[in-house]
Amino acid sequence: MLRQIWIVSALNFKSLKSRFWQSMVIVVGLAATVGVMLSMLSVSAGMRTAYQNSGSPDRAIVVSKGVEQEASSAITRAMAPLIAVAPGIAKDKDGKPLADRTLQLGVPVVRANGSKGFTTMRGMAEKGPGVRPELKIVAGRMFQSGKRELIAGVGAQVMFQHMQIGDKVILPDGEWPIIGIYKTGDQLEGQLIGDSETLLTATHKTNYNTMLVRLASPDSLDAFKKAMTTNPALSVDVIRHSDWYNRVASQSTFGLALLGYVVGAVMAIGALFGCLNTMYAAVSTRGREIATLRALGYDALPVAVSVILEAMLLSVTGALIGAGIAWALYDGKLDLFNNVIFYLSVSRAQIALGVIWAAAVALLGGLFPSIRAARLPVVDALRAT
Amino acid sequence: MRYLPLIWSALTRKPARAVLTLLSVTVAFTLFGLMIGLNATFDEVAAKARADRIFTNPRFGGNGMPIAVARQIAAIPGVKVVTAVNVILGYVQDPKNQAVVVMVDDNVPKVFGDWGVTEELWDVVRKDRTGIVMSGLQAARWHKKVGDTFTMISKQMKRADGGTTWTFKVLAIGPDFPQNSNGYILGNYDYIDKARPLADQGKIGEADLLANDPATSTELAARIDRTFANSATPLVTITEKLARAGGDFAGLPIKPITRGIALAGMFMVLFLTGNGIAESVRERFAEFATLKTLGFSDRAVTMLVVLEAALPCVIGAALGVVIAAVLARQIPAMMPPGFGLPLPTMSPVVIAWAAASAFIVALLSAALPILRLTRMDIASALSGRT
Repeated sequence: MLRQIWIVSALNFKSLKSRFWQSMVIVVGLAATVGVMLSMLSVSAGMRTAYQNSGSPDRAIVVSKGVEQEASSAITRAMAPLIAVAPGIAKDKDGKPLADRTLQLGVPVVRANGSKGFTTMRGMAEKGPGVRPELKIVAGRMFQSGKRELIAGVGAQVMFQHMQIGDKVILPDGEWPIIGIYKTGDQLEGQLIGDSETLLTATHKTNYNTMLVRLASPDSLDAFKKAMTTNPALSVDVIRHSDWYNRVASQSTFGLALLGYVVGAVMAIGALFGCLNTMYAAVSTRGREIATLRALGYDALPVAVSVILEAMLLSVTGALIGAGIAWALYDGKLDLFNNVIFYLSVSRAQIALGVIWAAAVALLGGLFPSIRAARLPVVDALRAT
Repeated sequence: MRYLPLIWSALTRKPARAVLTLLSVTVAFTLFGLMIGLNATFDEVAAKARADRIFTNPRFGGNGMPIAVARQIAAIPGVKVVTAVNVILGYVQDPKNQAVVVMVDDNVPKVFGDWGVTEELWDVVRKDRTGIVMSGLQAARWHKKVGDTFTMISKQMKRADGGTTWTFKVLAIGPDFPQNSNGYILGNYDYIDKARPLADQGKIGEADLLANDPATSTELAARIDRTFANSATPLVTITEKLARAGGDFAGLPIKPITRGIALAGMFMVLFLTGNGIAESVRERFAEFATLKTLGFSDRAVTMLVVLEAALPCVIGAALGVVIAAVLARQIPAMMPPGFGLPLPTMSPVVIAWAAASAFIVALLSAALPILRLTRMDIASALSGRT
């Protein structure tokens, strides 16, 4: 049976050349569908990656009870040392806990195209670099604690105006110079960082937003969490940093991803009708060939399977072309959505999704024509002109 | 008109092909309608954006600003009227049903009258502090009508007694407008303010105002920023005109994206219709030769092919735009609240673009077969030697 399928399909593929333009309907249809879908999903996928890279399983974030955003959390000056001495936190080489008092606020920026937007400015205290070892200064230098100076991410430098070393950012307390550029490999690259204590004073705030701690090991979260939740002086939630960002990533990319899938689905329906049309036409063009095969003793099934295989081959080719175009145009490009900067992404997983999408269209679009091919009345088809 | 029976018989020769082509074209134009419709909405919003309307927010985010700031802004020369704005984020029954109630003061009709929030509409809420105005979209979303109760839970906006449940009476259903794609629920600022813990009272999240002179409003916005630059709550102020000028959606350039998608859809159907018509002409080559023998001019034959190509395109485009118009109404319910993507509008411009695209697709599809037909050698075509 497999041999029969092979022979019929091979015969079938050989005749594709004579049906080139007809077959292109499927190829172009799926190329357009998958190309558009993956281009749209490159935004949500890239943003998701940027968020997910920001979280780390060996970090934990401490926020006030029940809040879902860092900006709405408040950790008082009195709470901070209580959190820092809890068990389960990694120590640096001089034996101090790697716990960072962080701040987060919005700062108006001018985007590269001149429109106005916001970016996030983070406050980081002395243990910040130890808690976030991925932060590397690539130009200039790190800010000094107590000084009114900022470092900018490599993404912010590209996507916003006035973000070069020496440029000034207006803060409540006057203008702060940018003295360094950093890389983190996550969404922090689109932001600004300064010293927590200095920022706190400058912005007339009394509370930090969160505490970010480096866990002694990913397993020490439970011990740390227990210490936090049993301390009556604290009313906080402790969340593994990677879990925190997974949630943020899902919430903030849901709408965009949905949009990508909806547009992809609508186009897939259009492509499906095109596929049906082409495959019906192919079956009727090959009517005599199919009838001959059947007269020679081939089963109906290999004939039917060959029709679906042809649809698959054409659709997947189209999907790969579309994915290739989307990849070439967008993968790795810096982009901005909702004040978050990230790299657009057309990953292998996305491309695989596009291929599956195309295969599904081919299966549906090939099914009914294949049934017709299998049921073709042999005698009539042989006589047909 | 007299060609109609000829075209009809050509299309019904292979009914499956005709129907599948039509369906595919319809789907492509549904997408086209949604995309170009979205474009039209952004154009409309940009065109309707007023230079004399100004939005001001706390410059560095945080927990809002004192309502006194709004009063101080009102006293700045050049400012006509200011409304305080405070937003309650919460949910109905389940956290996944997110809802937003915008609490505003009595000046709202003066600032947003052209958005449909008229004095008469607001008057109802003015008289009943627990009342709200829902736009048609929101009323449909929560299945509310005038007289119903709307209950929302907000974790971030607590009541003085520590409760998180806020209950409102739906007093009026207001009109929707393109600037606010999710619709709106407007409530009385006074109500939440008095119901909040003392420490939270008197705080607002935003102030919106009208300037006396649209020509100098950008300068006024800058003046407001300067006035509060060294206060406890520095502001960031922008005119509506400037805020909408970019035509982007949260930073994404809407025009190139929507046009790209619409174009991809058109490209997809172009191949389909082009193949369909080429095949149809190939199959009936001898028939066309007969028509020419009977005295049909090249122009008449061209007309026949163009019309045969155009019919599914035009019908598909019309159906597609109608479906897009229906689907557009469903978008707010589908998208997560606060996503903020406006509703596509099927303006005359969109319909014109759809019609033009349908004709272009039809002409392009018909071009090659027509070339073949005009160059045909009638004698050999009639004998089937092609």
